[in-house]
Amino acid sequence: MERIHLHALPVRIWHWVNLAAFIILIVTGAQIKMGDKINLFSFETAVDVHSWLGFILIANYFIWLVYYLVTRNIKIYIPPLHHPVEFAKKALTQAKFYGWGIMVGDDNPHHPTFYNKFNPMQQVSYLMIMVLLIPLQLITGLFLWDPHLFGPGVNLIGGIRIADLIHVGLWIFFSAFMIVHFYLATLGHTPMAHIIAMFKGYEEVHEEHGHGHDEGHDEGQGNVHAEEHGHSH
Amino acid sequence: MNSKKFIAIFLFVSFMIFPICVNTAKGAVSRDAKLCLACHADQTLTKKLQDKSKLSLYINESEFAASVHVKTGCSGCHRDISLDNHPVVKKITSKRNYMIQQSGKCSVCHTAEELDKRQPIHRSLAAKGTCVECHGSHYIRAMAVEKIGIKENQYCITCHRNRISMTMKNRETLSVYVDESVIKNSVHGKLQCTECHTGFSKTSHPMRSFDSVRDYSVITSEICWKCHADAYKLYEASVHNEQLKAGNMKAPACTDCHGSHSAVSAKKDRSIGLTSCNKCHRDMSPSFEASIHGKALKKGNKDAPVCSSCHNAHDVESTAATTKIKAGCLKCHKDAAKVHSKWLKNPPITLPTFAEAHFDVVSCAACHASGGERGIYLSLYNRRTNKPLTEQELTNLFGTDSAGLTAKMDSNVDGVIDAKEVWDIFHDLFNKGVIAIFMGKMDVRTAEQAHMIGAKEEGIKDCGKCHHPEAEFFKNVFVVMKEDEGNPVLLDAKRDVLNSVYSILPISKFYAIGSSSIKLLDILFIVALIGGIAVPIGHISFRIITSPIRALRRMGKGGKK
Repeated sequence: MERIHLHALPVRIWHWVNLAAFIILIVTGAQIKMGDKINLFSFETAVDVHSWLGFILIANYFIWLVYYLVTRNIKIYIPPLHHPVEFAKKALTQAKFYGWGIMVGDDNPHHPTFYNKFNPMQQVSYLMIMVLLIPLQLITGLFLWDPHLFGPGVNLIGGIRIADLIHVGLWIFFSAFMIVHFYLATLGHTPMAHIIAMFKGYEEVHEEHGHGHDEGHDEGQGNVHAEEHGHSH
Repeated sequence: MNSKKFIAIFLFVSFMIFPICVNTAKGAVSRDAKLCLACHADQTLTKKLQDKSKLSLYINESEFAASVHVKTGCSGCHRDISLDNHPVVKKITSKRNYMIQQSGKCSVCHTAEELDKRQPIHRSLAAKGTCVECHGSHYIRAMAVEKIGIKENQYCITCHRNRISMTMKNRETLSVYVDESVIKNSVHGKLQCTECHTGFSKTSHPMRSFDSVRDYSVITSEICWKCHADAYKLYEASVHNEQLKAGNMKAPACTDCHGSHSAVSAKKDRSIGLTSCNKCHRDMSPSFEASIHGKALKKGNKDAPVCSSCHNAHDVESTAATTKIKAGCLKCHKDAAKVHSKWLKNPPITLPTFAEAHFDVVSCAACHASGGERGIYLSLYNRRTNKPLTEQELTNLFGTDSAGLTAKMDSNVDGVIDAKEVWDIFHDLFNKGVIAIFMGKMDVRTAEQAHMIGAKEEGIKDCGKCHHPEAEFFKNVFVVMKEDEGNPVLLDAKRDVLNSVYSILPISKFYAIGSSSIKLLDILFIVALIGGIAVPIGHISFRIITSPIRALRRMGKGGKK
């Protein structure tokens, strides 16, 4: 049994805070928006909680951003666009694995390491989420939080209703994403492997599952896991 | 002193005193006149008129002697009276009638042509027979002499202190009497008459004609603009001026509110901002008087608002079409945002701007009026100019008339504007090069309700009144059409105008969380949840179905290794 260090402590804190905030924000968002269908909290409570969590999410985003910028590990999110054909092939292979290979017992073509954590599909989707969608959600959230204070920004995008359209659109996207994300997290070598890794930072894999190479290093602890492998979803 | 010297001094003195003699006791009273004065020099001589008043028949001889008519004598004017014939009974109804009657005698010598040549204004005045009112009767002096040394205002008032009037083309009459004391006590008391009445002077009195008294008031209000350009600039954009331009002669011009000669400084007398409005808007009085503002005003609270405190004095806008009315409230309630932010806040930071975000789209009356029906009012604005699109502008753009515009707005002719129709108007205007936007406002239904502001503790603090899909205050939606006269016309709109995808662009600047959300997005949310759940279920199902394949491979009995 090998241990692969995948997630640094700040990333793990960010991830779980994100998870809790997302769930509560989605639920309170639904309460705020659909008060005639949902009656979990009062409108005022839902707004209060939603606003608090919104700011926590903003702070949390900066934990992620500062960590990845300072460690320069932000590059794990950047697809190798200088090799677009090779990247596209890898992405296709990964899609094939999820669509068929996983059914017939193929090995995951991607073997994550600390410095190469995401498969091509994850890389593109997480880059879009972290660089575009979450900032957009946070900014439109701020616009809705105080449309007068952020009046110039609200006008710039065309009006408060446009801010709402983006915010609600992303709320719908993230609601679906959360479900699919959770399911994909269970597709490790055991259903809990990825989830436990996100708690402990390490993922345990059987020797026979080991493949490929990694140029990376365990951050902070000096352990080198160049030959360690695992599945990441 | 030799004789030559004496003659020289005599001539010098004579030349020096000659003008004085001319001006004072210049004429000798004729023998006939002396005979008349035998009786009429008696100061107690009076005649009782039919209206029971007494007419003095006293003539001051020296004053008469100084008049221009001294040579004419008494019989020159009083032709029906002579030494042989002095009617004992002569029916005179009143002093005024007597004056008019006697003025008619002036025209015997002073013909219309002569008067017209001297000063055209005489033509209209002479016709009314009021010569005596301006010039007096027995002590008339030459006007050239009268004008010497007399101040301009005094000169004007010579005639205008009398009950003279102007006749308009429609035969209406307007009194042009000026009460000197009123004008002196006015804010313009130190001005010369001609500073306002330009074109008039001691030597010039143009003849003017106006269609009606109202026409006169409106046109002469232009006099005010000369000095009060700033006020006029504000007035020019007002609903009052719009109505006036559109031909509503009932709309107020300057003098309707400020008066003419009695103009007072609004800074010293705030009541003008209430009394002048009440001339037309009296129907608003009961609701205002019942409000906390009206009660405070009645109690003598100097800070209590009058109409102009909220609606402005000159740049009055139609309250249904404006988004600025709250500025009137905030003039006094300067800390309103701070006060509201004690409860109207959004954590974790309490900022007054959050309250201001509400002020941007909710009228103060919407929460603070006692009772009343609330609704959402959508006014069509030009996004570039940020001004309401008037009915005239819209009819011009669409090449139709008022009825055609209404038919265009309500294209399915069901009497209610729906979301698709809102979009169609937006789209059609866009095709005409106008980027339009429906600006939304939450407000009470009627002007009376808007004035009935209650006490602070009566204000609505229930967020659910607005932020709920079935919010009470969002049940009534109207599209406000602004007529050219500034009067708003309300068209009923469907509730779902605020919840439709069609509204995203046309109503992009009005949105209330919870109550004006796009319904389609709610459906998409459910679809996304179902889709999100369907993906793992489908994938798991497929994995279950294919589990024998994986089992075989694990056992090395099939497939590739």
